[in-house]
Amino acid sequence: MKYHVFTRINAGDDLMHVGTVQADSDRLARIYAHRTYDEEDWDFIGVVREENLIEVEEGPIAGGRTA
Amino acid sequence: MSDDDGWSEAAVDYVQAIADTKLLLGQRYGEWMLKGPNLEDDISGASNAQDEIGQVRQLFRLLKRQGVGDEWLESERDPEEYANAATLDREAEAWPTFIVQAALTDRAAWLLLDAIDHDDFTGMVQKMGEDEYFHLEHHDGRLETLAEDQPEAIEAALEDYLPKIMAFVGPATYDAESDPLVAAGFTDRPAAEVRRALYDHYEALFQGTDVSVPPLDDDTPDPEAWDEARRRVGDGHVEADVVDQLQGVSNEEYVIA
Repeated sequence: MKYHVFTRINAGDDLMHVGTVQADSDRLARIYAHRTYDEEDWDFIGVVREENLIEVEEGPIAGGRTA
Repeated sequence: MSDDDGWSEAAVDYVQAIADTKLLLGQRYGEWMLKGPNLEDDISGASNAQDEIGQVRQLFRLLKRQGVGDEWLESERDPEEYANAATLDREAEAWPTFIVQAALTDRAAWLLLDAIDHDDFTGMVQKMGEDEYFHLEHHDGRLETLAEDQPEAIEAALEDYLPKIMAFVGPATYDAESDPLVAAGFTDRPAAEVRRALYDHYEALFQGTDVSVPPLDDDTPDPEAWDEARRRVGDGHVEADVVDQLQGVSNEEYVIA
């Protein structure tokens, strides 16, 4: 599974997307993210399964006409 | 406990065995860090290797303060003079085997280190525990998925490594009353208790999977045959070419004096 890695340097900052890891479980994803992106003294580092991202879709809104 | 009078010989042996085991763990992590199943495992393996070697430096520093020779520790030992856990004598042949080898050995070494109750280790062991959290979580996470994908391979590796790691921890007869290091005040957890903690951890980890953890054998190691200094039974040892790598033999001419 693909996981996206989000971090912030200071408490209160917005989260930054810093990369991805491939892992077979949430447990492994946490460890891989820490090991792979541990180049900064992060205030926070977290992972999100790609399948859990909600896509923001665009589409035409219906006008309410009836045929 | 403080070390106003220095450590006992048994305590020096105990720390030497932990240090040598970590030295060999660093070597085994290094061997696998470029051939793991994916980049994330390689990066984790490289980090683990770096942590282990860093910990060895600290443990060697303490051993030198206890009179252990610098040259002997670093570069003048024969293979049979290394007191590493027997689990690390040979490189694992496959990834599932390697994970079991590293998991059992790294956790056992951590439990023995954590059992030390001596002023010289205060603070240092806490920092090492912060490193070890990531090692042990990586192993357990991998073992969980491998238990589903390749239970036979995990079980075979447990059959091989479990008796060896129990020999490293110590005899089951070393309980709160009889473990000499506990009696001397150097450790606060007898070998018998560490054995049970190590075993219970893996029994819980594999519960509900197709992996059966082999029974814990209280007769292994046989206390009569157990080598207290090298924490094993028998005279097995790591290969000579690995010792050459550990001692930097092939690059001696580049050593910075």
